[in-house]
Amino acid sequence: MDTQWETFEVFHQSKRGDPHEHVGSVHAPDPQMALQLARDQFARRLKCVSLWVVRSRDITATDYQDGSFFAQVTDKSYRDPKSFDAPDKLEHP
Amino acid sequence: MSVPNPPKCSPASLQMFLLALADDELVLGHRDSEWTGHAPILEEDIAFSNIAQDEIGHSLVWYSLHQDLTDATPDTMVFTRSWTKFVCSRFVEYPKGDFAYTVVRQFLFDCAELIRLKDLTRSSYTPLAQTAERIIKEEHYHRLHSQGLVERLGDATEESARRMQAAVDQAFPQSLGLFELLDCENELKTAGVFSGHTVLRSMWLDEVVPVLRGVSLKIPVVQDGAEYQLKCEPEDGGRKKLHTPHLQQLVHDLQSVHKLAPEARW
Repeated sequence: MDTQWETFEVFHQSKRGDPHEHVGSVHAPDPQMALQLARDQFARRLKCVSLWVVRSRDITATDYQDGSFFAQVTDKSYRDPKSFDAPDKLEHP
Repeated sequence: MSVPNPPKCSPASLQMFLLALADDELVLGHRDSEWTGHAPILEEDIAFSNIAQDEIGHSLVWYSLHQDLTDATPDTMVFTRSWTKFVCSRFVEYPKGDFAYTVVRQFLFDCAELIRLKDLTRSSYTPLAQTAERIIKEEHYHRLHSQGLVERLGDATEESARRMQAAVDQAFPQSLGLFELLDCENELKTAGVFSGHTVLRSMWLDEVVPVLRGVSLKIPVVQDGAEYQLKCEPEDGGRKKLHTPHLQQLVHDLQSVHKLAPEARW
């Protein structure tokens, strides 16, 4: 029997309005404990206003082996925004 | 605050009260730090190392209030005092033991500390009230952590139930020593420094008993009307400096670096 706790991915927000960014994962028996353990590990030194945790197994991901999923088979450079300046930074609402 | 300050209470009694608070936090913090590198799971290793630093941080705050009354610095109290002069409860002296014992001890301690801090926010001694207000926020999360583990381990599997019950059997009578009456108990109560250990213990039982019984752990108390009656002997003695040899070893370890190089600064 696998007695290891399952893993939760941890997302950290340093300021309200900023995106939650993935910072790592924790082992925990359930989401509530995962939040507490994530607090000890990721919110103690980093400034933090909000944490999300999500069961790692609930994340559906692409397969690195399946490179063709992202392949660009024809020239799509016409789709790139080259003829105007895009602002570097958009203000958050 | 409309309360008198300083209260009608001798400095010696206040010193004793502050020292008991500080020594409990220091010694338990040291025990928690012994899990660094040894906890059964990495996340708990980090959590207990974090809690250890918090508890030792709380002790520094209490030693500083003690210093205001005595001029003895926190470093003097921690690094040069003989273990026979400590007034921590015997409960916090015992070795860290099984992880289940650590979890149960931490839970019983966190609940007691939270209740004590809530009470102290209304203390007639203003520095105590202000400090309690500050520390209480952090202690709330300690309790969430330790209670979370108790609730998940108490009756999860045959093994966890057995180890948690053994821990409760050992820790519960010891933990009652946190409420050992002080020689200056009545003076502190009358002066409004705190509500007294009998009141605190009764509030503490109201909180810990339902949590432990909620996960089928047996505790030696019976309900008598609205009150709980104890069915075991509290392990007192610590406040009277009657310690276990475990404290001698702990203080020896704690002071060993200082003894090697008393003048060292870091």
